Amino acid sequence: MQIYLPIAEMTVPAESILLLGTFVGFLSGLFGVGGGFLTTPFLIFMGLPPGIAVGTQSNQLVAASLSGVLAHFKKGNVDFKLGGVMLVGSLLGSVIGVSLFKLLKHMGQIEFVIPLLYVFLLGSMGLMMFYESLSSMLKKKDVEGDESSKLMHHKFFTSLPYKMRFPRSKLYVSALVPGAIGFVGGLLVSIMGIGGGFLLVPAMIYILGMPTILVAGTSLFQIMITTIFATIMQAVTNHTVDLVLAAMLIFGGVVGAQFGVRFSRKLKGSYARFLLASMLLIVCFKLAGDLFIAPTELYSTEVN
Amino acid sequence: MFRFVLLAFVIMCGLAPKAYAFDSDLLTIGLADDTVQITTGFNGSRLTIFGVKREQGDLAIVVRGPERRVTVRRKGQSLGMWRNVDDMRFRNVPSYYDFAMSGVEREIAPAILRREYGIGVDSLNFDALGRNTEAEIRTFREALIRNKQMHGHFALEPEKITFLSDEFFRVDFDIPADVPTGRYTIMTYLFQDGRAVGERKTDLRIGQVGFSASVYRFAHNNSLLYGIAAVLMALFAGWLVNLFFRKE
Repeated sequence: MQIYLPIAEMTVPAESILLLGTFVGFLSGLFGVGGGFLTTPFLIFMGLPPGIAVGTQSNQLVAASLSGVLAHFKKGNVDFKLGGVMLVGSLLGSVIGVSLFKLLKHMGQIEFVIPLLYVFLLGSMGLMMFYESLSSMLKKKDVEGDESSKLMHHKFFTSLPYKMRFPRSKLYVSALVPGAIGFVGGLLVSIMGIGGGFLLVPAMIYILGMPTILVAGTSLFQIMITTIFATIMQAVTNHTVDLVLAAMLIFGGVVGAQFGVRFSRKLKGSYARFLLASMLLIVCFKLAGDLFIAPTELYSTEVN
Repeated sequence: MFRFVLLAFVIMCGLAPKAYAFDSDLLTIGLADDTVQITTGFNGSRLTIFGVKREQGDLAIVVRGPERRVTVRRKGQSLGMWRNVDDMRFRNVPSYYDFAMSGVEREIAPAILRREYGIGVDSLNFDALGRNTEAEIRTFREALIRNKQMHGHFALEPEKITFLSDEFFRVDFDIPADVPTGRYTIMTYLFQDGRAVGERKTDLRIGQVGFSASVYRFAHNNSLLYGIAAVLMALFAGWLVNLFFRKE
């Protein structure tokens, strides 16, 4: 069934969008990731303008992150103070990100920069996760990055000013560290349409030294507020949030997540991470290939 | 429906005064629908034009969407990767262009006349902005037309005009699903011995209606509220998920 998207002003096959939403929901239930890294490239691949893909995806992330936040909140696993400091950074990051997106689009480079950023991010995260999950699968135990956890005691991080106490996380660190992590998160939401959980979570564990149990809930809380803010900003400044598209993605996501959660109980942590890493790398290779393969049509048009 | 329209036309022809001044009296044009309505289930449409010509001659019908500024970009290789390296801006580019003819292009009217009336894709004249050489403009212009044709927004070849009698004709234009919205003009020209003797202008509106249109208007007229509504919808969905599925 074809459905007309009122903001994108084009027709898309509803089945494909629902399927995409369901598949991504399945992954998010399985791995606890938002899945934006799959949705955004696929929407662009289907011929949607990158702006609409990113703007609408941020709306979808609001739904995906809220259900996660609520679950963690009930267990008391959200550090609101730390999340709040991260938010200061991420809101700043998304304001800059939205302007940067506009500038790159004006320069005609957005279709080049988005895949390039994806290749770097997915490639590096995928490789790290791939190596980590493989070694823990072989050793039959979870390897908690012993060397990298020392990162937070590094002179650079301890010497930063504006030290703050975060009682919930039992941390005493410079507010600049969580602020900077949040800033990167805000950029990712507004430029790439991803929550960035797969980047934020390791950063909060290894750079911030946060207790692992609080990381998921706190990062989701931060992502939720950021995506709420980004959605409203994209709607106001760029008119790139398509409600019909978002509703389909969210619906598919809800269905898919249930299967994902059920399936995840049968899957060991290291195997799940291995699968996720493989998936990140596949998407990465596909995007990298497209950057290097000569296009059949060198010219493209854009209505101003 | 079709028969009714046909009948109405035949009656109209009979009643119309037969004073053949230049222009418009030689031609009568009617649309089966003077709006193309885009609803949520819209998957392209068909635009049917009926007409009557009261003299001998060849016909050309041109459908044009609202004019836009268009940037054409060219990809090149840098560091092995393909990205846009050059661009050119054009103005007066019709967002949509389709045409129909009753005969072979060259025979209907000389090139200079086709160019004047914008009949055929090659005769469209849009202006390049900025300083460029003739050769560059030609390359980018061709690329622009090629792109538009690839997306189905410029005609590849003329539609056929079907004559139901010597005077009464009908044309069907296929409208794609992602047709640009706005105010369209349909120009009909009558040519005799390579010169234009009659012309007729008809308006057509292509726009979203119903739910689709409401969403579009909401997003553009009240974008802050629209953004908040989008967020609330997402929050509600997230909350529902939590309520029903995460009981454990």
